[in-house]
Amino acid sequence: MPVTKVLTEGIGEVDLRSIEVYRKRGGYEQWKRALSSLKPEEVMEYADKSGLRGRGGAGFPTGKKWSFLPKNGKPRYLVCNSDEAEPGTFKDRMLIENVPHLVLEGMLLGAYGIGSHHAFIYIRGEFKDGYQVFARALDEARAAGFVGKNILSSGYDLEVTVHRGAGAYICGEETALLNSLEGKRGEPRLKPPFPAVEGLYGMPTVVNNVETLAYLVPVLARGWEWFAGAGTERSKGFKIVSVSGHVQRPGNYEVPLGTPVRELLDLAGGLRPGRTLKAIQPGGGSSACIFEEQLDLPYDYESLAKAGTMLGSGAVVVFDDTTDFVKAAYNLVRFFSHESCGQCTPCREGGHWLERVLERFVDGRGLRGDLDMMHRVSATITGINLCPLGDSIEPFLKSVLNRFPEQFEARIA
Amino acid sequence: MKLTVDGVELEVPKGTLLVEAARKVKQEIPIYCYHTKLGPAGLCRVCLVEIEGMPKLQIACNTQVTDGMVVRTRSEKADAGRAMVIELLLANHPLDCPICDKGGECDLQDYAMAYGRGMSDVVDPKERKPKAVDLGPTIVLDEERCVVCQRCVRFDDIIVRDAQLVVKDRGHRDIIATATGAPYRHYFTGNVTELCPVGALTSKTYRFKSRPWDLRRTQTSCTQCSVGCRQFVDVRYGKIMRTMTVAEDEAISDGWLCDRGRYNIGFYESPERLTQPLYKSDGRFIQIGWDDAFDLWATALRKAAARPASIGAIGGGRLTNEEAYVLQHLFRSLGTKNLDWRAGRQRQATPGARAGSIAEIETMQAILIAGEEPAELAPVFDLRIRKAVLRNGARVIHASDAARTLAELGSGVERAALIWDGVDLDLGRVLHERLAVIPNLRTYIVSEQPNARGAEAMGMLPEAGGRDTAAMLDDALAVISLFGVNPVRNAPASFGAREALERTPFVVVSELFMTQTAELATLILPATGAFEKSGTTTSFAGDLLSLTPSLQAPEGTLADLEMLVGLARALRIELPSREEVEAAVAQRATLPAEFGFGDVRYGKSYGDEGAPPRRLFSGGGTCLHDERIAVLVDSAEVPA
Repeated sequence: MPVTKVLTEGIGEVDLRSIEVYRKRGGYEQWKRALSSLKPEEVMEYADKSGLRGRGGAGFPTGKKWSFLPKNGKPRYLVCNSDEAEPGTFKDRMLIENVPHLVLEGMLLGAYGIGSHHAFIYIRGEFKDGYQVFARALDEARAAGFVGKNILSSGYDLEVTVHRGAGAYICGEETALLNSLEGKRGEPRLKPPFPAVEGLYGMPTVVNNVETLAYLVPVLARGWEWFAGAGTERSKGFKIVSVSGHVQRPGNYEVPLGTPVRELLDLAGGLRPGRTLKAIQPGGGSSACIFEEQLDLPYDYESLAKAGTMLGSGAVVVFDDTTDFVKAAYNLVRFFSHESCGQCTPCREGGHWLERVLERFVDGRGLRGDLDMMHRVSATITGINLCPLGDSIEPFLKSVLNRFPEQFEARIA
Repeated sequence: MKLTVDGVELEVPKGTLLVEAARKVKQEIPIYCYHTKLGPAGLCRVCLVEIEGMPKLQIACNTQVTDGMVVRTRSEKADAGRAMVIELLLANHPLDCPICDKGGECDLQDYAMAYGRGMSDVVDPKERKPKAVDLGPTIVLDEERCVVCQRCVRFDDIIVRDAQLVVKDRGHRDIIATATGAPYRHYFTGNVTELCPVGALTSKTYRFKSRPWDLRRTQTSCTQCSVGCRQFVDVRYGKIMRTMTVAEDEAISDGWLCDRGRYNIGFYESPERLTQPLYKSDGRFIQIGWDDAFDLWATALRKAAARPASIGAIGGGRLTNEEAYVLQHLFRSLGTKNLDWRAGRQRQATPGARAGSIAEIETMQAILIAGEEPAELAPVFDLRIRKAVLRNGARVIHASDAARTLAELGSGVERAALIWDGVDLDLGRVLHERLAVIPNLRTYIVSEQPNARGAEAMGMLPEAGGRDTAAMLDDALAVISLFGVNPVRNAPASFGAREALERTPFVVVSELFMTQTAELATLILPATGAFEKSGTTTSFAGDLLSLTPSLQAPEGTLADLEMLVGLARALRIELPSREEVEAAVAQRATLPAEFGFGDVRYGKSYGDEGAPPRRLFSGGGTCLHDERIAVLVDSAEVPA
């Protein structure tokens, strides 16, 4: 089994939370190099040519996202999205808790690459440990002169602000995050304008995921060719995959993109003895299921999209034959209903309606017409919402309604 | 940009929103959260349309028209999406239409009938929420009916710039509340009841009062301040149920009303209204008939006419233009030059050659305010100032000193407005002269009386040799006639109005209520109110506004015009014909433009140290009996 160690290098072996340890292993060298010998455009070129795509869920090419910033002389902001809350995802948490300096260096490089003098990191409210670790790392970096005014006598100023969320899934959506960061209610904004044009405080803004920014450090250290050489034609490089559910060793596994799903399962120790596989959610709570016959699918953006699902945030949730899929569907739909900001009618009311229906099913009080109705409602509310949250309700529900109808029919009173 | 909407081709300017383009071809696209004045929010998702070349349904409210766009507002896919949104909006909606104020004029009812499935698969119990949340002095909220379109929230944010209302909690537990939990209170709260597409936000004054189809509707102009917003007056059984905005009134109100204009309507049916002429005999008022009243008045005037300078008339700011014109005409024909509309502190109402229009203020880069706040004197005009600030980043500067104002303004300001309250003539004159360096300076005078500008234009100003209000009171005339003015309460203390009127042998007061001034009268004439008569008034910016009666005047009252006609008959003076009056009003609608700020013809200013600020919302002007308005203001501001 190929074990890849890029971002996860050293985790569990040494204490990379300490700036000394991090620097001994080459930490902040890329930041120093960028400040002394690279132009921002060159950093952007690394991001672009490496083929690095957004690791938060949408998989949008990072270099392309940066290139949307207008050249209008306005201040620009980089925001690191660490509001990791997609059900089944726990990779960003691991990164900020274990390699905060790597994340910070990635942020500094990203901010430099887009010509920003102020970077923000929005840390999920529940990540209290991660917040403390990161804040300490930032203090260390500032004391070492890597953050602040005229960094390392380069003339470049870059300030970093740490912000804690208050416990809303929706704030992981980039425009809701920006609202929340500004002190407003965490609701997605109507687009256009997109954040690249009018983002934080109305200024051009790039929002990148923790993992995305962290990968900038090895990309600069080892070259974009190295990164682009891994993975597949369009899904280049590596990805940390959070494997959870009915496996023997749930955890984060870093792999080249395109690794077959079967191997991810093997990395996580496979199923427990005597169990059989029923379904896998390959990309977090918002993704549709794949099944046993699809285990050889390469784990990359294109293959999963072609199979009708998505790679998302890289959360592989495994369900074995002990799963009550009615309860599983109820659990996820209740989550989305609970986390809906309530702006859009389809998400607010549709999610709540389906939650109430599934609650009845859990109690064994389903009605004859409910299955058709759930298909109709979940399908019609998809694609007509302001943000992706409302569109996240259907995929899992539809998968299990289609695959395990008998489990639902058994609950019809 | 050419596009096709449901097979109809049309051409619209670049940047037009699809929802507005569709209106042009009379193709209704249902909307809840979108509002022309608030712009798109993209929340309710009911305006779904199908656009050729786009796989997903699009919201018409946030889609800008592109050239060659082919749109279907009614297709199988669009209909299904829209029907689903309506079904979802009804999923937790209480459907208590039979007891809902909005029933009969409710967008949710209309759209559910037009675009809904006509049935619902929802069998689970609906979410229960509070049914009567007291939001503040004016508004009650029914949480269950709310569809969270956030129009009210955005109105507070974008239009009022006060952001009191917010959405609290999340998802289907969403509720509308004030951010701090404090009562919802500003000068424009009533507008949210009209913006609300359902019956969630209701006016305390209208709750459970009527059904829309039982109302008789007329359109008139508000006369509670010098702006003169168009408004609908809805009447049932001869009583006002409510007043509403007129969306098309772009030039004046921009489609809004202030709470005073909307809610201060209770006085019309007050039992304290004067409904019979009263004559003071031995210190007590006795009820008399109108014929006797005209005879007494005419006799007193005839007796004094030998010395016309001992006759005077004050008023006009609360009359129509026609009444003000006839008033000055009649008294001039008695030979007097003692005429004045000014019964308070304001000295001037016509803003001179650089006068700006109400809408123009939105385009300004700087707004200079001299004297009292437009927010207090002309609230709906103040909303335009807020718009200028939001849109152009216009600066608002308090201009009490010309040099300091110019310094603060700096260079590069092309368009600026000077808004003055017409009180301190010296200040007005200096500002006007010094600020003339601004290339496009527009001047405004917001008045304390609604038709001050009209009265001034109609000739209710002393001519050479005549006395102004202060002089009339100072000299103790023989006969003084007061029309809708209350100098005892509103004139500067230095006028000594009470003592002067006590000294004056014959005081005639035309009023709706027994005011402090009326109490001193020899003869009180019960007048009709603005909703009870027709005519025209002039806005502070010079717009000619029309009044249409929506209420029957109480028996025993007469309009001031009818009083003047009665008096003229008793005096055997011939008045100009109706046509002559109308022609004169049209011709004089505004004074000659060369009247500058602080023009010498306005006389001088009078000190009024220690006087409380004039606040429209504390029942300023002469409206003593603001019964319902009292609930809108802090008790400290309510006049004793």
